[in-house]
Amino acid sequence: MIRKVSFLAIGVAIGAVCAGWAPQTLSTLSQGAYAAAADTYRQLNLFGDVFEKIRNDYVEKPDESKLIEAAINGMLSSLDPHSSYMDAKAYREMQVQTKGEFGGLGIEVTQEDGLIKVVSPIDETPAAKAGILSGDVIVGIDDESTQGLTLDQAVDKMRGAVNSTIRLKILRGAAKEAKEFKIVRDVIKVQSVRSHIEADDIGYIRITQFTEQTADGLKSAMEKVGAEVPADKFKGYILDLRNNPGGLLDQSIEVVNAFIDKGEIVSTRGRNPDDAQRFNARPGGDLSGGKPLVVLINGGSASASEIVSGALQDHKRATLIGTRSFGKGSVQTIMPLGQDGALRLTTARYYTPSGRSIQAKGIDPDIEILEDVPDDLKDRDDTKGEASLKGHLKNGDEEKTGSQAYVPPDPKNDKQLIAAVDLLHGVKHAAAIPAKAGANASGQAPTPSEGPMEAPAASPAPGSPDATAPN
Amino acid sequence: MGRGISYLAFGVAFGAAIVSYAAGGAPPAAIAGADQLQLFTRVFDKVRESYVDKPDDDKMVAAAINGMLASLDPHSAYLDAKALNDFQTTMKGEEFGGLGLEVMQEGGLVRVVSPIDDTPAARAGMMSGDVITAIDDTPVQGLSLKEAVDKMRGPAKTSVRLKVNRGANKEAREFTIVREIIKVLPVRSRVESGDIGYIRITQFTQQTYDGLQKAIAKFRDEPGDDKLKGYILDLRNNPGGLLTQSIEVVNAFVDRGEIVSTRGRTADQAQEYSARAGANLSQGKPLAVLINGGTASASEIVSGALQDLKRATLIGTRSFGKGSVQTVLSLGDNGALKLTTARYYTPSGRSIQAKGIEPDIKVRETIPDDLKGKVDSKGEASLTGHLKNGDEEKTGSEAYVPPDSASDAQLIAAVDLLHGRSPTASAKDPARGDD
Repeated sequence: MIRKVSFLAIGVAIGAVCAGWAPQTLSTLSQGAYAAAADTYRQLNLFGDVFEKIRNDYVEKPDESKLIEAAINGMLSSLDPHSSYMDAKAYREMQVQTKGEFGGLGIEVTQEDGLIKVVSPIDETPAAKAGILSGDVIVGIDDESTQGLTLDQAVDKMRGAVNSTIRLKILRGAAKEAKEFKIVRDVIKVQSVRSHIEADDIGYIRITQFTEQTADGLKSAMEKVGAEVPADKFKGYILDLRNNPGGLLDQSIEVVNAFIDKGEIVSTRGRNPDDAQRFNARPGGDLSGGKPLVVLINGGSASASEIVSGALQDHKRATLIGTRSFGKGSVQTIMPLGQDGALRLTTARYYTPSGRSIQAKGIDPDIEILEDVPDDLKDRDDTKGEASLKGHLKNGDEEKTGSQAYVPPDPKNDKQLIAAVDLLHGVKHAAAIPAKAGANASGQAPTPSEGPMEAPAASPAPGSPDATAPN
Repeated sequence: MGRGISYLAFGVAFGAAIVSYAAGGAPPAAIAGADQLQLFTRVFDKVRESYVDKPDDDKMVAAAINGMLASLDPHSAYLDAKALNDFQTTMKGEEFGGLGLEVMQEGGLVRVVSPIDDTPAARAGMMSGDVITAIDDTPVQGLSLKEAVDKMRGPAKTSVRLKVNRGANKEAREFTIVREIIKVLPVRSRVESGDIGYIRITQFTQQTYDGLQKAIAKFRDEPGDDKLKGYILDLRNNPGGLLTQSIEVVNAFVDRGEIVSTRGRTADQAQEYSARAGANLSQGKPLAVLINGGTASASEIVSGALQDLKRATLIGTRSFGKGSVQTVLSLGDNGALKLTTARYYTPSGRSIQAKGIEPDIKVRETIPDDLKGKVDSKGEASLTGHLKNGDEEKTGSEAYVPPDSASDAQLIAAVDLLHGRSPTASAKDPARGDD
């Protein structure tokens, strides 16, 4: 259900969230800090002086909270492209995003010519039970017209506390038959993992982002796949991380652990040596039965996705197919600021098991396969990559920029997927094999809108139509 | 001389600078705003403590101040000590060590608009149209105009090597030139068509009014009071400068009446400036003012006042539309703040903010094909975060002045007007003076 750029709709910048939740630590003065205090005081004085002059002399009465917000944003964006300030609203949205659940109705909506239109109700949700249909146009929410609302605003209105009630006015079909629905909100889980059987004997698993639900979602997906294909017939897994911008660090560790039983998965290092952390596989965490694994990556695979790809590559547990990944090798920590929102601050770099940092370099696939990009999307589908972001953390001389981030809507044309299937089937020359028309059992893998829409925010989704948002 | 965007070569941001220097020293910090300041301090502390690398405190605070000021409007800015020094140099019309080239950026390279007479560049044989490709072996490609200008400047008597492509077939040349002290003259003048006093003001610096006085005095000798038909005041692509100087310039053409008024949030920002009797130097001779999309700020005060007082006929295209006043507030050793403190109003009470000034006679230049679409100034109304001014905002206009004055349609129209011919007639005047 997270078709298209759901993370944009929920306000999270992509490639940005490899977040570890740190408790709100109070500052402990280190020894050097005392001497530095006077200088810091001078800095803060200068800032206070400027703030005061603006308050007194600006041509109009300034909005003080806006001034401070702009100052904080200016300061943080001078650090690197992933450190930022979230006001209270942005912070709430980010929590929804990482939590992977919220109170809502369970419809995926899009905006078309200013109208809010239902893409589809999600199975087993209040919206589906109430009888909302794909194609319904929502014209009113709780007696308020949706005319003039942005998609975000409409989604905000539809979300709300679990067990609260909402009324929707709807126009249905070509005849625009008017209907009204009263629906009670429930907990809606954002599915970050989708799976199906590919070519009868392969478990295809796509992770769209790393939320709190991801490890559980993966576990269910692996169980489901195992139940559908007899073990003797089962050829292996395809883990599709293309255009996955990342998410929670601990979830990425769990995902790796589902395919390996021991060894280091990732380590992080901050400014203080004490902050260095090493994450190892828990024995017994491996759910894969040692079956072969192919991981699909592209220029839109970032952050937590790169932790997974990097670890599986270093352990020689998977063959990586696709194009070079984004190259975001830093970890952000979310620091709550009470009622004032939160700080997303880069606090560490991470290193793959072999000790390499992929920051501004990305991960090169073991087998590079380029997709055929339609003419109208050419040159617009490339992610520029971390190395092209202004102010990115440097990583030596051999930085590399991004790569393609296009996934063909029709899996029949998806050369990376085809190559993965061929590899698992033991077919040698991927490119020479005719497209496996109709081999896609479920017919729904990479859903039409997935591919090009989920390019990192650094390069806005190419040709993106109106964003869709689950609510 | 005045082609393209020469003010950039002097490091002045476009349309940015109407400035009155105010004495520093705000009243002591009040308690109001303390909550917000505390939030900032908390974030600052967290970054210092937890950021992945040791952050640079000075840079962080400068970025915070810049972020805060940029959120106000496009003309408020923080000037660190170096930027303040550059700014003061520009406003004083002071001299600097350099070559004497007026340059503009074109296709990522730097193109010579013209070498300034009697400077090292002119003597070395640099020519208008030369494209500079390297400075001391550093390729120009990839440098901003300001960076290129900074590289060309330097202490007097030091030398610099320029690689240049000349002409259509890009003949490669190399020049080694010794820097000298270059004086930036904000006023240039010449006798046009034998009987017109042409005065171009490139910027309103502390030297501007003096320069104008001298130019007018020169015209009394040549061509002489009897023969002088009138003045052309060329303010095209003049980005502005000091408020006080713009008032003096208007006063050189009028004897009385209000010139401009300013209004801010506080009472002491409300001021009215009127002409001093006896300061009019123009003897009532007719006056044409040339304006275009690059005419901004202090230039618009001059054009607006002369138009409202019906003292001049404005010829050209709509001006930029910057109707705000910035004050430079000192921050001691830490540079200064350039803060928008007031709006200004022309004598009739209008604000030209985000609207610009419409010429009395609209005349457009013929733009060469290769520059089409590249010479329009977007105008104040197109700047993100500009101060609003009602519903009828208007964007900028063309900012192109042909390098050869024989094909300068706006100049020709002004000459025609002063000669009593219909200004739409665009006959070339072969008798124009030297450049």
